[in-house]
Order: sequence, then C-alpha cells, then structure tokens
Amino acid sequence: MASASSPQQTLLIPRHVQYIKDLGQSSNELGYHLTSHLRMNAIYWGLTALCMMGHKDALDREDLISYVKSCWDEEAGGFGAHRDHDAHLLSTLSAVQILVILDALDEIDVDRVVSFILSLQHPSGVFAGDRYGETDTRLLYTAVNALSLLGRLSDLDIEKTAGYIVKCRNFDGGFGAVMGAESHAGQVFVCCAALAIMDKLDEVDEDSLAWWLAERQLPNGGLNGRPEKLEDVCYSFWVLSALAILEKVDWIDAEKLTAFILSAQDIEGGGIADRPGDEVDVFHTIFGIAGLSILGYPGLGDLDPVYCMPAELIESLGLRKRWRGLPRRAAP
Amino acid sequence: MHGVKRVRQSPEALAAKKEKEQAKLNSYLELTQTILAKKKSKDWSGEAFDLTTKLLQVNPEFYTVWNYRRDILLNGTFPRSSPQEINDILSSELHITTTALKQHPKVYWIWNHRRWCLASIPDVPQPAAVDEQEQGQASTEPAEVDPRGWQKAAWDREMYIVEKMLDADPRNFHAWNYRRYILSESPTPRPLSAELAYTTKKIESNFSNFSAWHQRSKVYAQMWESGEADVEGSKEAEFDLVLNAMYTDPDDQSVWVYHRWLVGKTPSLALLQREIKAIQELLDEQPDSKWCMESLVHYKQLLLQRHRSEVNSKEVIGDCSRLLRELRSVDPDRRARYAELEEKLLAAFA
Ligand SMILES: [Zn+2]
Repeated sequence: MASASSPQQTLLIPRHVQYIKDLGQSSNELGYHLTSHLRMNAIYWGLTALCMMGHKDALDREDLISYVKSCWDEEAGGFGAHRDHDAHLLSTLSAVQILVILDALDEIDVDRVVSFILSLQHPSGVFAGDRYGETDTRLLYTAVNALSLLGRLSDLDIEKTAGYIVKCRNFDGGFGAVMGAESHAGQVFVCCAALAIMDKLDEVDEDSLAWWLAERQLPNGGLNGRPEKLEDVCYSFWVLSALAILEKVDWIDAEKLTAFILSAQDIEGGGIADRPGDEVDVFHTIFGIAGLSILGYPGLGDLDPVYCMPAELIESLGLRKRWRGLPRRAAP
Repeated sequence: MHGVKRVRQSPEALAAKKEKEQAKLNSYLELTQTILAKKKSKDWSGEAFDLTTKLLQVNPEFYTVWNYRRDILLNGTFPRSSPQEINDILSSELHITTTALKQHPKVYWIWNHRRWCLASIPDVPQPAAVDEQEQGQASTEPAEVDPRGWQKAAWDREMYIVEKMLDADPRNFHAWNYRRYILSESPTPRPLSAELAYTTKKIESNFSNFSAWHQRSKVYAQMWESGEADVEGSKEAEFDLVLNAMYTDPDDQSVWVYHRWLVGKTPSLALLQREIKAIQELLDEQPDSKWCMESLVHYKQLLLQRHRSEVNSKEVIGDCSRLLRELRSVDPDRRARYAELEEKLLAAFA
C-alpha cells in the first residue's frame, strides 16, 4: 500500500517542470517531428502547466515570442502550428494564448488575426478551422476564446454563434461536435465555455447537464467522456471545467479523481499519461494538472476553466466569468 | 498519446533506438523540407503531388500537406483534366484515405479530406449531340445520362465504408458524424426506416453502445416530425425494447439515459406511473441497483412537478427522500449531488 507521502500520491512538480523544459530539447527524435502539427498547441499546454506550477519562467520569454512570430502565415493572416505550416484556428488560438500569458500581444497585427478568425465563420454560426477545414463546436469555441482574449468579441455576431451551439444541444443536456452528434465531454466543455464567454449560459439545461457530467466518474475515480467508455486523464479537465462553470464540482468524488490523476504520473521521467502505466505527453500533463487545480490541489495556481489559462491573468484582463472550483487546500 | 504503454528503456537501448531512427528521421525531414519549399513556390506539378502522398502515408496529421495536396489538384491537375479524369483522381483519393483510416480511424484531417473529395466530384458530362448530316442518318436524340451518376456511386460506397469503420469501433464519433453527414447530404437519400434498422442491429449486438441509442433518438425525432412513424405506437415498442435491456443489465448507463429521453420532459401521469411501477419491480429484484433508484427519484420528481394535484405528494416526497439517502450509501461518489437534490426537494415541496 502506498502511504500518503509516497511519490505516487503527490504531484511531482519539479519532475513535471523538467519534463516540459526537456520537450523543446528533443529535436533529434522522430516523434518530435511527427508531432510538429501540434507544436504551437504543445507550447501553450506546457506554458500553462508551468504557470499552474509556479514556474512560468522555466521557458525563455524571448524564445517563445520569436517562435510564435515565426509561425505567422502572411498569406492567410493567422498562425500555423509550426514554421511554414498553414494558418489554422487551433494554432492561432494557442499563439494568442501564449502571447497573452507573456503580455506580448503588441508584437502582432491584431486586426489581421481578427479578420482571419471572422472569415472562417459559416452562415450557420459555426466556424471552420481553415480555408479547407471541417467545422465543429470545438472550432467555434476556439474562435470565441481568441476574439475575447484579443478584446474583439464585439466584432462577433453573438446571437448567430450561440444559436449554432444551441442546435448541438442534446436531451441529456450535453453537446455534440455538430448538429445531431452525440454528447461528448470535450464538446460539453467547449460549448459551455463559449456560452460563458458570450454571456449565454442561460441556454444550458443545467440540471440535466450536471447530472450527465457527474455520471462521468467511474468506480476507479477517473472520468470518461461518454456513457460506457473508459476513463482518461484528459477528461478530468473537460468534465471538471464544465462542472466548475455550473458550480457543481463537488458532485463527483474529488479525492478519488485526484488519486487517479496522480497515479497516471511518470514518477521517474515526469509528465502525466492518459492512464496509469501509459506513455506520458504534454497534452495529458496540462489537463491532469488543470484538473488538479480545479480540485483545489495544494500548491497549484488557480486555473480559469473557461479559458484554460491562469485565473489571475484572466481576472486582470477583466474577462472573468462565473465559475467555482474547490477551495485550494493547504499543503499537508 | 492514447493507450500507448510506457516502457522504461535503458540508456543503451535508447541510444540504439535513436541510431536506428536516424535514417528514418533524416529522410522524413528532407521530404518535409522539399514539400514545404515546393508549396512556397506554388509548384502544382504531379511530382509534388506524389511527394505529398509519400509524406501523408508517414504522417496523416500533417494538415498543411493535405491543404497543399488539394491546392495542387485544384490549381494544377484539374484544370488540365477531363471530367472523367477528375472523377478517377477523386476515386483514387477516396481509396487512399480508406487505407489511411483503417490505420488512423480518429484523425480529423483524413475524414475532412474525404468530405472534400466527395463534394468535389463533377457532374457526368452529357453526350454531345450527333451531327446528323455527316452521319447521313435520321435524327436521334442522344440518350440522357444522369448528371449525378458519379456522385451517386461514390456516396453509396461511402455508406459501406462507414459501416466497416463502425464495425471496427462502434463508438468512433468521427465515423458516426461522418455517417450522419452522408445520410443528410447524399444524392440518393436512404429511408429513415433503414437507419432505424441499423441502430437496432447495433444495439442488439451491444446494449452498451450509447452512440447507437443516441442515433436512434435522432432518427425517431425525424420520423415523428415527418410523420413517417406514429409517435404513440413507436414509443410503446421502444419502451418494450428498453425494459428488456434494463432487465438484461440494470447497471448499463446507456439504457437508462435513453429511457430518460423516451419519457421526455412532459410525460402524462399514466405513462409516468407505469414506468415508475416497472422500475420499482426491477428494484425489488435488484435491491442495490443505483440506476433504478436514481431513475425513480427523477421520475417521481417529475410527478411532483407536473402532476402534483393528482398524486399523494407527501408520500412521493417521502419516497424520494428515502431513495436519495439510500443512493448516498450505494453510490457515495455522487453523495453531494444526492444531498443537494434532497435539500432542494424539501425546500420546494415542504
Ligand atoms: Zn486523453
């Protein structure tokens, strides 16, 4: 039996900080290059995780800014995931988030970014990811979040945009990726957060949705994304962020979920995996830490579940919406 | 990374792996650089197209290369091709992505490319009118060809592919979303009754497949709206099916969620009472069933909200209270929810 102080039951902050720092140093590995289409997202995930752990300065500010700027797609007016990659909404939001965290928005042409984002909206209200792209509520949230961070939400047709989300709402209170799609915790997060940003939370069927979200917890403490599916650390964030927006985080067992997330850490190499014993990645590392932050884990900073960014920062920008995590616990 | 086991390797093993990978890495980087440079110089050649095929086989997530591939087709290949040739190219694109999907069933970009291909299939050209004098024959009208013939053939094949994908993973939401896209956009619409039969087949092979239950709820909603199915009659048959599933596995969440949809938010008193009775009977057989108790609370609350004057509300409130307390011990993970529901109930109806 692991005791309360065993490494498996404590968040190994120094290990995770080192793990994130090392991610940028693995450019002689094939896996690093095979994931270049996620590089901008990965930097945002890593930086946000570092902020939560109180190590924002572990990555060099100037390096990050110049990297972000090097991914600018002059033709499209947005950011690609890596140098010479096409502009895409997903990487553009990550770029904006990184620059907001680093207080460096003045380094880019905000007007062009705003036009790029708005040009991707379809008449139905949904957004495409790029000029050839698919459309879904994930991309809609990406656009709403970025416009809000850029201080340009007023350029968006809120009724039309929120109207699309409403069309994706299901009888269980959840939301799907497109009209007619099954409720999925990831989509529930993006739809609730987008509605929160647009001050349209009255469109949420709170009783049904909070019930559906609470039922995502499995006997082993982990959360799944849909009925009768397996648990996964990343759902800790999708489900918890939506519960935090509904102010119902206490509707699941926080202690069991905390233990589940901690058990998915790589106690030697750092980082968090989807489940115990699996290979870690920065995606599950941030969403595990984000989940722990919402659960009030001691020693972590507060995460704003709507923007998935440091709460203090969002508050200072005047963008804070209604949400509630569990109170921060004192270190034992 | 999802579902990849962590293996702890010795420094020696890691170094050996890296060395083995080095050649692969070098050729991958070289190919990437070549392609991105060609893209920058707007090279729409067939050679560039073939290079994208090669790269996407190694890394189907490289969305910039998918975009470039479509740019080559639109700017280079299609303008110098006949409709027949364009159709052949798109068929081969669909074939390539089928192979890619078998290996990477959850990559957004592959599904996306398929949609683009389908939407890009040209109309079949009409045969030119025959020049009568030259032929020295009597005037004959050329037989008309269905202009959407190629599209119809391609979309019909898609239905087959998506079923294969759902056989491999019946919960793959990419495949279900794609399926709904095909159903709604196909030039040869499929009757809703056929889709209903498909969900029956999926549910019968596994009651836990909530994706199929969900699809069923959407199909019924459409059939009721269009008048293709009688609301009362089909609901009765559904209640039988669901009850059967509940008895088969009372712990299966999918069935209970679907039942909640079936009952809806505005049920009649008779319906509520009948369903409450059926669930109570199951609870008597399975006294620890969380889902029986949780559902009873939900439906009894609906009784209070919608039919309060017609029921003994004191008794119903008492039942709910008792069930909620029992739920706190049967399902302690959600104890705070049950406590809150009880508190609210007592405040609302005290
Ligand atoms: Zn995951």
